[in-house]
Amino acid sequence: MQTKEFKVKWGMVIDIDKCTGCGACMVACQVENNIAPMTAKDPHNYVQAITTDRDDASNKLRTLTWMNVYELSNGKSFPDHEVAYLPRPCMQCENPACVPVCPVVATDKNEEGGIVSQIYPRCIGCRYCMAACPYHARYFNWWDPLYPVGMDKQLSPAASPRPRGVVEKCSFCHTRFQQAKDLARQNDEDPNNLPDGAYVTACTEVCPTGAITFGDLNNPEHAVHDLAKGPNAFRLLEKLGLHPQVYYVSKREWVRKQGDNYKAGDKH
Amino acid sequence: MGFDRRTFIQASVGVTVGILFTPVPWKLADDVSIWTQNWPWIPKLKYGEQLDKPAVSKLCDSGCAVNVRTVAGNAFGTEGNVDNPLSRGGICPICANGVQVMNSPNRVKGPMKKVGDTFEPVTWDDARALLADKLAAGGGKVAVISGDQTGTANEVFSGFLAGLGSEDFFQMPCDMQAASRAYNGVMGGAGQVGYDLENADYVLLAGADAFESWGPTVSNMKTFSATAAKYVFAGPVQTRTASVTARWVPVPEEGMAAFILGIAHHVLKAGKSVAAADFAKFRSVVMDGFSPAKVEAAIGVKSAVTAALAQDLLAASKPVVVPSGLSVAAANAAFALNLLLDGGMVSVPEFPKVIDSALSVSQRMEKDLLAWVNKGSNPAVALVYEANPVYALPEEFKAGFLVSFSSVWDETSEKADLVLPATFTYERFDDIQSPYGIAKPVYTAGVPVSRKFLDVMTPADFILGLAAKMDIDLGFETFAEVIAAKAEAVGADYDEEVGGFFEGETVVPEVATLGASVLARGAAPVRGTGAVSLAPYSQLIIGSQNVATTPNAPCVISNNQLVGTTMVVMMSGMTAQKLGVAAGDKVKLSGGNGEATALVKLNEGVLPGVVAAPFGFGHTVGDEFSKGKGDNVYKILTVRFEAATGASVWNGSTVNVAKM
Amino acid sequence: MDSKLFPEGVQRCSFGQFATWMTVITAVFLVGVYSAVLVLYNGIGTTGLDNYFGFGLWITFDLAVIALGAGAFFTGFLKYILKIKQLEKIINLTVIVGFICYSGAMLVLTLDIGQPGRAWFGYWHPNVHSMLTEVIFCITCYCTVLVIEYVPLILEQKQLNKIPFIHALAHNMHVNMALFAGLGTFLSTFHQGSLGGMYGVLIGRPYAFREGFFIWPWTFFLFVLSAVGSGPVFTVLVCTFMEKLTGKKLVEYKVKALMGKIAGTMLTIYIFLKILDTWAWATGYLPSVGLTFDDMFYGVAYGKWMMFTEIVLCGVVPAIMLITPAIRNRPFLLYTAALLDCAGVTINRYVFTVQTIAFPAMPFDKWFVYYPNWVEWASSIMIVAYGFLVLSLSYRYLPVFPQERRLNYK
Repeated sequence: MQTKEFKVKWGMVIDIDKCTGCGACMVACQVENNIAPMTAKDPHNYVQAITTDRDDASNKLRTLTWMNVYELSNGKSFPDHEVAYLPRPCMQCENPACVPVCPVVATDKNEEGGIVSQIYPRCIGCRYCMAACPYHARYFNWWDPLYPVGMDKQLSPAASPRPRGVVEKCSFCHTRFQQAKDLARQNDEDPNNLPDGAYVTACTEVCPTGAITFGDLNNPEHAVHDLAKGPNAFRLLEKLGLHPQVYYVSKREWVRKQGDNYKAGDKH
Repeated sequence: MGFDRRTFIQASVGVTVGILFTPVPWKLADDVSIWTQNWPWIPKLKYGEQLDKPAVSKLCDSGCAVNVRTVAGNAFGTEGNVDNPLSRGGICPICANGVQVMNSPNRVKGPMKKVGDTFEPVTWDDARALLADKLAAGGGKVAVISGDQTGTANEVFSGFLAGLGSEDFFQMPCDMQAASRAYNGVMGGAGQVGYDLENADYVLLAGADAFESWGPTVSNMKTFSATAAKYVFAGPVQTRTASVTARWVPVPEEGMAAFILGIAHHVLKAGKSVAAADFAKFRSVVMDGFSPAKVEAAIGVKSAVTAALAQDLLAASKPVVVPSGLSVAAANAAFALNLLLDGGMVSVPEFPKVIDSALSVSQRMEKDLLAWVNKGSNPAVALVYEANPVYALPEEFKAGFLVSFSSVWDETSEKADLVLPATFTYERFDDIQSPYGIAKPVYTAGVPVSRKFLDVMTPADFILGLAAKMDIDLGFETFAEVIAAKAEAVGADYDEEVGGFFEGETVVPEVATLGASVLARGAAPVRGTGAVSLAPYSQLIIGSQNVATTPNAPCVISNNQLVGTTMVVMMSGMTAQKLGVAAGDKVKLSGGNGEATALVKLNEGVLPGVVAAPFGFGHTVGDEFSKGKGDNVYKILTVRFEAATGASVWNGSTVNVAKM
Repeated sequence: MDSKLFPEGVQRCSFGQFATWMTVITAVFLVGVYSAVLVLYNGIGTTGLDNYFGFGLWITFDLAVIALGAGAFFTGFLKYILKIKQLEKIINLTVIVGFICYSGAMLVLTLDIGQPGRAWFGYWHPNVHSMLTEVIFCITCYCTVLVIEYVPLILEQKQLNKIPFIHALAHNMHVNMALFAGLGTFLSTFHQGSLGGMYGVLIGRPYAFREGFFIWPWTFFLFVLSAVGSGPVFTVLVCTFMEKLTGKKLVEYKVKALMGKIAGTMLTIYIFLKILDTWAWATGYLPSVGLTFDDMFYGVAYGKWMMFTEIVLCGVVPAIMLITPAIRNRPFLLYTAALLDCAGVTINRYVFTVQTIAFPAMPFDKWFVYYPNWVEWASSIMIVAYGFLVLSLSYRYLPVFPQERRLNYK
């Protein structure tokens, strides 16, 4: 498989040694991208007799968490036990597993910046892309988005609400990218050479420990450029060859080792 | 019949092509693709000018300085305020959901009074008249319970209370209270204790879950990631804070004062001293009562551990020890150790009051609500401001006439006789004065950034109106004036349109005593008689003691805290074996005045002999995001009174665990 | 009362008996319809599927029935293209079974995709790189072909056939059948392969990923072979089941044995390659991504026993049984081998669908076990009931078995 090269490559470097797993990024992501809170009842459905109850948010296999925080454990007993938290957005792979499988080109990696798109009005909901993604970054709208009365008074203008039956995923807050480019054009600057920080995702912005750094991996003036090349940087499942644009950093070896499979006696 | 092979193929192809030339299939296809993205029940977006407006958010205990994001004048999201040191762009997970709480259907939509078992709407005037009557009839037997630790609204309430001739002003139990009672009370210090994390190079978090729920959480987290200081977390549970600190030292909650004094033992041995009246006594209390062997025997922390920690603290150029919890003794011990180390503990001067008859911050922290409730106090009228004592107190809370100033329906509103719906902080003037733990005096004033959609009122405005009606002169007519005056008194650069901000300087902490006589009696660990210790922990994503789980939080709350509608408790494999339970078992925890149901999860990050349970579940009133989810851990706590300090504490709580 | 509609010279059970049978089947069918309504009305949230198991019982069911329905194209290919005359005695049944399998699979797919209204986007916005696009193309086209193959059989119904136009139409369709059989073979081979390719291309799923030839992963070829290695004997099983049910001989045993021989040959080739493929995967590919063979299995639900059952008990064993004339020529053993064969291909489709996505690629993630809920079962059983209905009607009123008269009424 050949990978498409882009001049600009938006990426993240997430410092696991700073992430406390507080969940602010997950909340900010839902607010930014209009992910409706999970409600059990659908009072608007016309025929209530055949309307079933919807899922509880405690069923983690049915939630829509574009940004999802995993808990890592070193597996040791008290008192040697250690724990770490790993936030997992969409990896925006350079060689995505999901894009070539979509039968209707509802997802593509085609735009300068290398963000894997998701076109909701195009998606037929076959979920083949979800089966393809080993990071579980893709989510299916099992139910229609229903806001409790009043909560849809004002939604975020950044993302249109998706109906049930389509797949969605993290878009690196793509609307913010558009806005940053628009602003650059207005100021007679090069939209393809945004300064560091001109475009950041909602999770990056909100993170209280600044564990997430966002920027252009190809641009030496962006912090991520060097961070991604640091000695403790790694990507998830590198051996599968999907080449994520999201990097992780940890000084702890046991954390780094959980980034890939090393079971056949091969060297790290 | 002239129907041969050729005709057949021609006819088939002809019909197919013919249909394709009519508009029917194309029109249908086009319509379908439009319908499938425009179902009427899918909300439509509204567009317009986007603005970020600075505001204060007080959902978490310490409060967040935020920017409310608006489009076409309507708020839709919350983000951190880069220019404010409390936020520096960061935001806590509760406040991140602020706008959604503001727009929640669980808001109280207008003033209500209880008639029989139900509520009936009343007008604000009737409500004011009704309450004035009750207060007049109560004859000074009035109490205020405030869940707001940092707001000037407390001055309005306490000033009003003074006007009514009552001194019963209470804060909900909080760490700030314990710190204030230790520092301002026992030790005779002035100002508010702060911890200079920014300049510290070694921080021992003695139970303080500083990156998850303790103190000015967001500011702590920002400082943690911006500096190279070494952090060590001590506590019974490997909390989220402990996941990023250099080290986790397992220490039972009730043993924290002894643990700190165990370290102080080594520090004293190294020759450190403090110019305090009772230093000699302090020294002998620590040297005799908290020798490494005694500490190890009492709380199970190896002497090598305390010695190493002491060595690290002594080697650091600016070390700081941060206590937590309701224990005045533990706070006292930590302050004494900090003074010995002469490190990063600071004193944050209080801001001047603007209502003369009001209580100062340290005065507000003096009274012990739990002790008062435990005594069986039953005031004629209780005014509850931004607090939920019915939910968050381990003991039953009683009042002749209960008034709830709350923006959402909660357990206290449900039990109240009069519910006076509060504006959300984004809809009102409000402020944050130096949240507990912050290293410098910081003042943030917020102004309304969203219009009101409901028949709600700012509680302080209501009280000012009520005071005027009852001829109590507080010197102001509206809360907006109070905030403006406060900002001026503080010296903040304030504007009625955008709010205000001030940052001052700290002073060196000075104390009269080290609390030696208190520590002599109060620092020894006291544990209940149940099978295992209960270590409650907080995660802001689940909620705080005042605020229930927010709408977008449930899918963030992990299955390590809640599965379905049952909460999860964590214990080490050893504890589970001792209790005869296994991972996934449903158990009943009984302790204090109640019981709770939970699922067992094994976690080697919990001290053996301890069960870790999350605060914030078990709401019986509210929206579907919190109501009926898990059980209320406050109700299985055992409240006891600390020796020497008399403080009501729940460390050392134990529970019995039975498999269901 | 409906005896005038029966095929020429055969007897059928009484109408009352038939009506009772049909009522029972319809009742089962209606339960399935109810579940389908729930799905279409509320969304796929009503099923047991989730974000980890986007594919489940439905896709397994689809892949299994499509493999088992392969009897239609392969028998058609042998009869019309390779001119194996013997097979005309069972070709009608293979067409009906194929039609049921494919149309049923398409019905299930309509439920399975989140936006059924957009199903045709596969044609309008095709991604030519996607194996699924190929599947959508071929399955829909081939289903049309099966309809075209099925229609003349309906037109040959005794009363309909009296109408001159219909008679001529049926005749003409028969004349052109070789064309459709050829087209069907092409389409079917491709999508059987693409269904395998769908899994083989999943670079992120070590359980399924395979190297291959040009753009086709090995699973492409394995799926084709396993389909033709099981489809013919599935038709034999259906035929035998109908014989037991009706108490009549419908096809002579010689033909069944021939079908067994054909399937057996293909199955033998398949299982040989499958073993090679598994070996290469376990010793070559998996270590290259830091995994071991053992890592691919978990507990009972995803245990190794399943793979051994699939490859040995339901692969090697029936292959030997079917290619050995002495075994194949004994009805009981032929049917046993056929059952094992069909079970094997079903397990194969199941593990490729479910175990592939159950394997937690990220080391800190964990295995989850997927259970289909009643909605998925009911809608799948609905398709089985639908098959029973179509077969019952076809058998009663259409001349499906050319040998029936000779075998029963001589």
